[in-house]
Amino acid sequence: MNARVLALLLRPAPGQGSTLALPATAFAMVTALVLTVVGGAQKFWSWTDPDAGLYQALAAIALVLLVVPLATLGGAAARLSARRRDERLSTLRLLGVSPAGVTGATVLESTIVAAVGSLVGVLGYLALVPLVGLIPFRGEILGAAAILLPPIGILAVGAGVVLLAGISAVVGLRQVVISPLGVRMRTSVPRVHWVRAVLAGLVIAGAFVFVQVFPGTAGLVMTIAVLAGMFAVALAVLNLVGPWALKVHAQRGLRRAEHPSRLLSARLVLESPKAAWRQVSGIAMASFMAVFAGTGVALMNTMSATESTENLTLAVDIRTGLIITLVASFLMVAVSIGVNQASSILDQRELHRSLHFLGVPVETVDAARTRAIMSPLLFTAVGSALCAAVLVFPLVGIAVVVAPLSLVTIAAVVALGIALVWLGVRVTRPLLSTAFQPA
Amino acid sequence: MNTPVLHAQSLTKTFGTTTALAGVDLIVGRGESVAIMGASGSGKTTLLHVLAGITPPDAGSVHYAPAHGAPVDITTRNERERSKLRRESFGFVFQQGLLIPELTAIENIALALMINGTSRRVALEHAAGWMASLGLAGMEERRIGELSGGQAQRVAIARAQVTGAELVFADEPTGALDSQTSNDVMDALLWSTTGQGRTLLVVTHDSEVAARCSRTVHVRDGHVIGTEIVNTGVTA
Repeated sequence: MNARVLALLLRPAPGQGSTLALPATAFAMVTALVLTVVGGAQKFWSWTDPDAGLYQALAAIALVLLVVPLATLGGAAARLSARRRDERLSTLRLLGVSPAGVTGATVLESTIVAAVGSLVGVLGYLALVPLVGLIPFRGEILGAAAILLPPIGILAVGAGVVLLAGISAVVGLRQVVISPLGVRMRTSVPRVHWVRAVLAGLVIAGAFVFVQVFPGTAGLVMTIAVLAGMFAVALAVLNLVGPWALKVHAQRGLRRAEHPSRLLSARLVLESPKAAWRQVSGIAMASFMAVFAGTGVALMNTMSATESTENLTLAVDIRTGLIITLVASFLMVAVSIGVNQASSILDQRELHRSLHFLGVPVETVDAARTRAIMSPLLFTAVGSALCAAVLVFPLVGIAVVVAPLSLVTIAAVVALGIALVWLGVRVTRPLLSTAFQPA
Repeated sequence: MNTPVLHAQSLTKTFGTTTALAGVDLIVGRGESVAIMGASGSGKTTLLHVLAGITPPDAGSVHYAPAHGAPVDITTRNERERSKLRRESFGFVFQQGLLIPELTAIENIALALMINGTSRRVALEHAAGWMASLGLAGMEERRIGELSGGQAQRVAIARAQVTGAELVFADEPTGALDSQTSNDVMDALLWSTTGQGRTLLVVTHDSEVAARCSRTVHVRDGHVIGTEIVNTGVTA
């Protein structure tokens, strides 16, 4: 394919601004967040005192926690970029352009969008550095200079994001190439077995027993180590049981559905409980962490009089770290939901157009897709918080878990997350509305 | 011709520099089946969209006379009113069926009623009745991907009819089907529309489909160039 054809292909079509802006924004956010988190970790790794190891371990946990939503977001953004070109690409194939040429054009576009987003992300990171530098750890602020990465580090992160976009575009496109009618022609609903719930129940029960027999007199550091372990187990359990729980929840919704939007939303979730879970799993994790943050806040209130200054500082720092991780997770989940929604609206444009012909109001379709996200989201957020509470209360006591300060913190964090996700769905409404406009 | 159910006068529509309709006049009688034929780009789909109130014309009028109630000038109605009209009084069948893949066959049909406020139980009962009438009994819980092209089109026909639509618009309803299935689908479409005293408007480029209708309107370059009464072979 020559350069002139490539340039023609890459020219944005009118009215597709949002499908370019969304992945670009997503890539900008991924870049800015990765740079900020790695910058913070750089400061942690500069410490050499005996307590530094614990901080570095906690920073590593936070990084790992952010990897999943980051990868999901990056992948979703790249897929949207690739999906946008599907129609043109199939036409090109019919015109005799080789599959390699078609793939090349798509990957190049995703890469350009990612590069632009990444550049904006770097600028965003540089603008954020002075603010992030004000965050206190170990009783003093981090300092802008300490968290500013060297140019080579910034370049490496930027290049990594662009590479991720390229790889995701290739993978996404291959799926399209293998099964261009995959969505429409799906014949069987993927099964999610109840054995998942049994396994999850056993793991939770085991963890609960372990926490019960865990010595209440153990030091704070030991308690943190156990909590971190519980955390990992619980996240694994959530991922195991999440799709099954959403399936059961949606089946109940389906039986009760009297309104078209409720019927549609329940079927949308049942179409692929795993996909529905992937969209909201970030919130499950965040909601789970919120319980830890909330009880941490309440715990600090009660222990401030008795604990040593070091332990108190550590507890404050863990809370700060949790809040930062939570905010980052929420932002990424909200943006990935926005990007996924945009992708699915583009996929279903023909169907939406036909629904418009039939006189189906855009509000019905919008309510259905919003409900298909928000209903599993609320269910997941509450379920995860309850799971976390079950694990936390033997360690800190029920009084701390249900302390007003604890509950207010948990509620505020979960409400913020839910509001951000709702916003993520809402911003794609104009894209949906275009299919419902008269020609 | 029977009492007119649709009366279009001097319809014009342009898209950019392309003229899709250049002063079309058309009267459709109640209980008729009218085929609109023409080459690609002749304006036949635009004509169907304008008659159905999907696309407003640049000029001209479309009067719809329901069996009960006062006549309506579709072109003077706003988008919300036209959507309501399409939902309650018109039915649509498209080339690809365009059914909702996540819903079962019966839910796709019942949804049309539920959107108009019918309870789910009643909507499902009506939908099941239509499925049985169209030879789809036993396939209620099948997903769209589990149906053949002809079965999916019959589900689309049931969806178009379940609301009691007086007027059904079909855009190349057999375009993606083999000739035998195409015949079966036309049987179902004609039985469920004109067979029940309703009116059918079909856009097609298939002369065999047109031959099954009571009248064929030929369109070229945005003009109606002739009308053929198929049953008598009279050309106007």
